[in-house]
Amino acid sequence: MLAYLIRRLWQFVPTLLGVVLLVFILFNWIGGDPAYLLAGKIANPEQIANIRRQLGVDQPYYVQLWLFIEQIATGDFGASWATNEKVSAIFATRLGPSLTVLVPLLLISTLVSMGAAMLAAYKRAAWPDRAIMIGCTLGQSVSILVYIIVFQYVLAYQLGWFPVQGWGSSLAENLFRYSALPVIVGVMVSLAPDTRLYRSFFLDEINQDYVRTARAKGMSEPRVMWIHVLRNAAIPIVTNVMMQLPGLLAGAFLIERFFSIPGIGREVILAVERSDFPVIKAVTVYVAIATMVVNLAADLLYKAIDPRVQLK
Amino acid sequence: MAADPAKILHVTFMAAEAGFDPVKISDYYSGSVVEAIFDPLLTYDYLARPARLVPNTALALPAITDGGRTYTLKVRPGIYFAADPAFKGVKRELVAADYAYSIRRFADPKNRSPYAFLFAGVAALETPDRYTLRIRLKHTDLNFSHVLATQISGAVAREVIEAYGDETNSHPVGTGPFVLAKYVRSSKIVLAASPTYREHYWEGRKLPSLGGVEISIMEETQSRWLAFQRGETDIEYQLWEIAPTFMTGDGRLRPEFEKRGIGLERSIDAEITYTFFNMQETIGGQPNPVGGFSKEKIALRRAIAMAYRVDDQIRIIRKGQAIRARYPIPPGIAGHDPEYAGSIPYDPRTANALLDKFGYKRGHDGYRTLPDGKPLAVRYSSTPTERDRQFDELWKQSLDSIGVRLEIHKDRFPELNKLQDQCRLMMRTSAWIADYPDGDNFMQLLYGPNTGQSNNACYRSAEYDRRYEKSQRLPDGAERNKLYREMTRLMETDTVWMLGDSRYRNVLLQPRVAGFKKHPVLATEWLYLDLKQ
Repeated sequence: MLAYLIRRLWQFVPTLLGVVLLVFILFNWIGGDPAYLLAGKIANPEQIANIRRQLGVDQPYYVQLWLFIEQIATGDFGASWATNEKVSAIFATRLGPSLTVLVPLLLISTLVSMGAAMLAAYKRAAWPDRAIMIGCTLGQSVSILVYIIVFQYVLAYQLGWFPVQGWGSSLAENLFRYSALPVIVGVMVSLAPDTRLYRSFFLDEINQDYVRTARAKGMSEPRVMWIHVLRNAAIPIVTNVMMQLPGLLAGAFLIERFFSIPGIGREVILAVERSDFPVIKAVTVYVAIATMVVNLAADLLYKAIDPRVQLK
Repeated sequence: MAADPAKILHVTFMAAEAGFDPVKISDYYSGSVVEAIFDPLLTYDYLARPARLVPNTALALPAITDGGRTYTLKVRPGIYFAADPAFKGVKRELVAADYAYSIRRFADPKNRSPYAFLFAGVAALETPDRYTLRIRLKHTDLNFSHVLATQISGAVAREVIEAYGDETNSHPVGTGPFVLAKYVRSSKIVLAASPTYREHYWEGRKLPSLGGVEISIMEETQSRWLAFQRGETDIEYQLWEIAPTFMTGDGRLRPEFEKRGIGLERSIDAEITYTFFNMQETIGGQPNPVGGFSKEKIALRRAIAMAYRVDDQIRIIRKGQAIRARYPIPPGIAGHDPEYAGSIPYDPRTANALLDKFGYKRGHDGYRTLPDGKPLAVRYSSTPTERDRQFDELWKQSLDSIGVRLEIHKDRFPELNKLQDQCRLMMRTSAWIADYPDGDNFMQLLYGPNTGQSNNACYRSAEYDRRYEKSQRLPDGAERNKLYREMTRLMETDTVWMLGDSRYRNVLLQPRVAGFKKHPVLATEWLYLDLKQ
């Protein structure tokens, strides 16, 4: 187990180097010269040169790349070029709001889609399965923007059940008042693809010999489904859920923008709009690390869920 | 009556602020907060139109001597900075040295101030006594008073700047009417009436009346619109994309909103958009088809300008929320000439005739060639945004109507700025928002020595430059306006720019907001507002 862990951690290094190189090349290739963005309306060549010097973009590429690697090693990405705020502070303050929305979203979405998927798989080809699949097809056909705009208009504006947008200062207020509608939107968006995916996992398991054997032995259907099928289908489901989390952190920008949630996704978009390379670098590296860690955690979880799994 | 803590004004910003250190900011949103927290020496009369300078923390308007090269001001005694730990419990009075320090910060390369250019003409700052500030300029500048009224020229205290180091963007401490009470970056900015604000009376009322201002950052139009309709916000400044939802075609509020007591304040922003032609003969060593002063080059530029459908730009892209710009100085700015008749109308028929006359022959594909028979292609640069794509399409259609082939060059905003400063763009649409309400701020955009900075067209005309230099030595008035008209005519004769539009600002107000009148220069009106209970 320890050897496996060390091997996997060692594999992080080349993966991370690949990410670093890709981000560096992409930023320098398509990012544009940030000095011209920060210089204001009228700047002379000396001012431009001064800004380039301060940002370090006047250095040769290999020096800039080495500085980037140093930043990853020390965990200090410096300060935002646009606001001077420490990048570490940006993450520290934006992570909480993002998680306040994403954790309940992921939890509810997983539980509901697992329930729906199990029902559909169990009643395969019968009307519950068909109804759920039609619902999923319809659900997947609708863009997230439509969900946001319609739900915000109907549930918040017309019916007044939720605030149109906003963010408070206490966790309870944010969780139960401001996150409620964004979570509903997020669940609606992820429900359809997750249900379809999980249904296929359940169907794979339902057709296995061990299920037939359990039924032949007279085991009750709820026990077959909840104990045996669910446990075996849990491995790919856990993988899917965990793999979603890092991407969601940076990818929930639409929800965060529409509902004015000061989260990481919104900050990423802002950083891209401002060519704020320190923030972009940090986000990419953090998401890459999070993805690798989550991958590793999912593998370790397999072992916990199914002792037959061998970690090699 | 002092500020009432129960009166909290709720407003929105459509983009995130960058921070609140006056030297480090350049965006409108940060500027709005800076204006509420810091005090410049001068300001503008809230109600006077056109905008009129009045003293703010200065006792009087500056004494301008030495032919417009020396400005002397007296700071009003008894004004204090808001309390801050940086002052170590001592009540800190505002003195002339604070303004000298604040202005010097713009020249400090460490601060990489985007507005350093405004203070580039300062040669020396002197404080002969505690309250007197003397500013010596390198050259005559009769508009420098306007610079002293900009929100970013508000005084900061050296102790505060030194205490907060790199964090000055989030620790603004000024002498203004409000203090920063709560700040969640890019999300919520809460201002509270400053308890140390000076005795400031206006129309018999002690200012500010508001107990505070709560600003929410809402990037999405739908969120701002719904929040306003639900009464969650009091003022909405930025809804031009959906203006037809609440406005009639003739610019009035729809009756259903009028019935609810909602108010609409409509004004034209102090800005112009324009499309410039690169006036240099070559770009990066290659011949520039639109550059130069030969008759056929001028004819080509003029034909292009005559073929472009500005009215469609206003109708389609601006959704009717703009007026056509006919003069380089927009309405509401000193030097604007509402009577000026432009000499470049929309007239594709004449544009075609002009091109025919100067030898731009049509080929088999319908597109014209250069008079020497070589292919003609005009390159228009824009960013890869949805809005710019609309501009691309309109330009393409317009130029197709006169048989001029248009190539669209896409690049990122900073790269286009870089190429523009290097005179390597052939054509681009730009905007200029007034830094101060004087025509000089617009006319300098075509001044030869500003090439590589604000003169995007890289236009060098001895006639224009001579007039511009003369205009700088004149105060606002008939003589200077005459020069501006001549300069505009020169610009049109050479066809350096094709003027675009100036956008409307439609401000929506809840019935409880009192005292609002959109100011052409001040970013916000919060100091003067009241809320009905």
